[in-house]
Amino acid sequence: MKSVLVIDDELDVRDAIQRVLTRAGYSVRNVGTAEFAFAELKQIPADLVITDIIMPQSNGIDVINTLRQQFPGTRILAISGGGNFGVKAYQPGSITTTAYLAAAQKAGAHHILTKPFESKDLLQAVESAIGAHAG
Amino acid sequence: MMRLRTPISNLVAGWVVAVHLILLPALYFGLGHIVRTSHADLFIEHARTFARIIADEFEVGAALETPARIADLLDLAMIHGDGSYAELIYQGHSYRSEIGSRDITAPKEPDLGFDHGGDVTYFIVLPIVHRGMNAELRLGFDERPTQQRIKLAMDRMFWLLATYLSIAISIAFILSYRLSRPIQRLKQVSRSIASGRYSQALQVNTAIQELHELASDLDHMRRELVGVNEKLQAQIKERESAESQREQLQQQLRHRQRLETVGTLAGGIAHEFNNLLVPIILFTDTALQELPAGSASKPDLERVLTSARRAKDVVKKILMFSRELGNVNLNPTDLRGVIAEAITLFAALAPPSIEIRTEIGDHVPLVKADATLAVQLTMNLCTNAYQAMRDTGGILTIRLEAAATGGVDLIVSDTGHGMDVQTVERIFEPFFTTRSVGEGTGLGLSVVHGIVESFGASITVDTKPGAGSTFTIYFPTA
Repeated sequence: MKSVLVIDDELDVRDAIQRVLTRAGYSVRNVGTAEFAFAELKQIPADLVITDIIMPQSNGIDVINTLRQQFPGTRILAISGGGNFGVKAYQPGSITTTAYLAAAQKAGAHHILTKPFESKDLLQAVESAIGAHAG
Repeated sequence: MMRLRTPISNLVAGWVVAVHLILLPALYFGLGHIVRTSHADLFIEHARTFARIIADEFEVGAALETPARIADLLDLAMIHGDGSYAELIYQGHSYRSEIGSRDITAPKEPDLGFDHGGDVTYFIVLPIVHRGMNAELRLGFDERPTQQRIKLAMDRMFWLLATYLSIAISIAFILSYRLSRPIQRLKQVSRSIASGRYSQALQVNTAIQELHELASDLDHMRRELVGVNEKLQAQIKERESAESQREQLQQQLRHRQRLETVGTLAGGIAHEFNNLLVPIILFTDTALQELPAGSASKPDLERVLTSARRAKDVVKKILMFSRELGNVNLNPTDLRGVIAEAITLFAALAPPSIEIRTEIGDHVPLVKADATLAVQLTMNLCTNAYQAMRDTGGILTIRLEAAATGGVDLIVSDTGHGMDVQTVERIFEPFFTTRSVGEGTGLGLSVVHGIVESFGASITVDTKPGAGSTFTIYFPTA
């Protein structure tokens, strides 16, 4: 059974993801901050980390960089519906959802997914992220 | 102090007439006096001389010897001396010539002046001494011929002076007219210049050098004035155009700032919704899958999911306006194909009351665009045009042509209800709509705006209430 760790500051979001993946047969844990995630991973490693990019206390891009360094075997799926680092984020020409996800991919995320998504999109993305590793 | 003003012609003629009316009578009476005096003097001189000759004849000759000789001499005096009365008192007798009027009586006092004594006779009384005897010669000379000569001379002088006066007045009028005509002309032209017709040249046809010089000096001033005026007008126009350009830019800036503020708000809300929609969609999806077959809740949950998907769609449109369009692939694009596709799609939806006209130019350069988004942009503009004409029907015209400055203009115009200024200022704001609640989301034009911005294109609107609307999108060349 593949293990998945979900990092998202929204409890409902990470619970919903956990619910869908658990039902599909994954072993899923979820946390609200990057700090908790690293503590969790040190105890029990995960095959896949699903991380939000924009979180009040953590920066998803930093999370990906750290994961790539400290847990190189862990696959990463970056998710984002945008969000903001402050009001300025929405000024013209500012970083957009697409740009966030592109940045995540550049940092080393194996797959990306735009919020909101449906169950089948999530399962496909998870499979792709893990499958790429398998392949 | 008020001063009576009168035209120069009247002034000159008036002065000439006034001066002559004072001078000519004076001249007439002055000359008349001289004529009268000299005629009178001549008359008196002649009378005295003649009287003296007759008296000498009586004193020296033999005229006193017989009454017949006395009468002969007296008659001679009457005939040759223009006399009207001749009498001699001698030795107590009065001898009087038979010739002449009997009515004339000699005055008691000698009448020595011409035109004196109230009669028309000039009397001379001369004492005569003949051989120790005293006599008195009384001669009367008729003044009338001399008076008639004086009168004739005076009449001639009068007519001469009257003729002179009329000639002088005529000349004065002619001169003043010739003087005033160029001045009048100058006045007309300068008034015309004052009222703004600067092009009229100040030229006068006059032999008066000063007026000619005055006119050419004034015309010189006029030409300078025209130059200065033209320069000023050009400056004013330039300033006005700069001002209006500045105003336009400021308005564009304000509009842009407002759209950005709205975009910021809308973007923030949209992102929140993205997060909110994740649990709604996933939990509902899962719940649906776990429901026992034939559960009454299944259609309810499916409706939740449908609504959530619609919400997702709305959020996507808002993000499009906020320029978060996902993957925008700006490639050299032939808009002709794009427009053709959009029209095909739109024509399938449009009711028959809308007539669709397309005018696609032959030489349309490639532009920087994303074909999929460009189709959506065109569709949205067409939909907007259709909605402006849905109650009345009308003509939707889609034109594609090479822009004068390079690039391509896509022009979508309708014959619908048009918009007022307040509406135009807000049409690109998300959720701004003039339609009733439930008829469209109010996102169509905000999506157009987002797409236009992402292309680096620009959009302008030309509209008036009741006169339809024309949207022009300028695409820069690839």
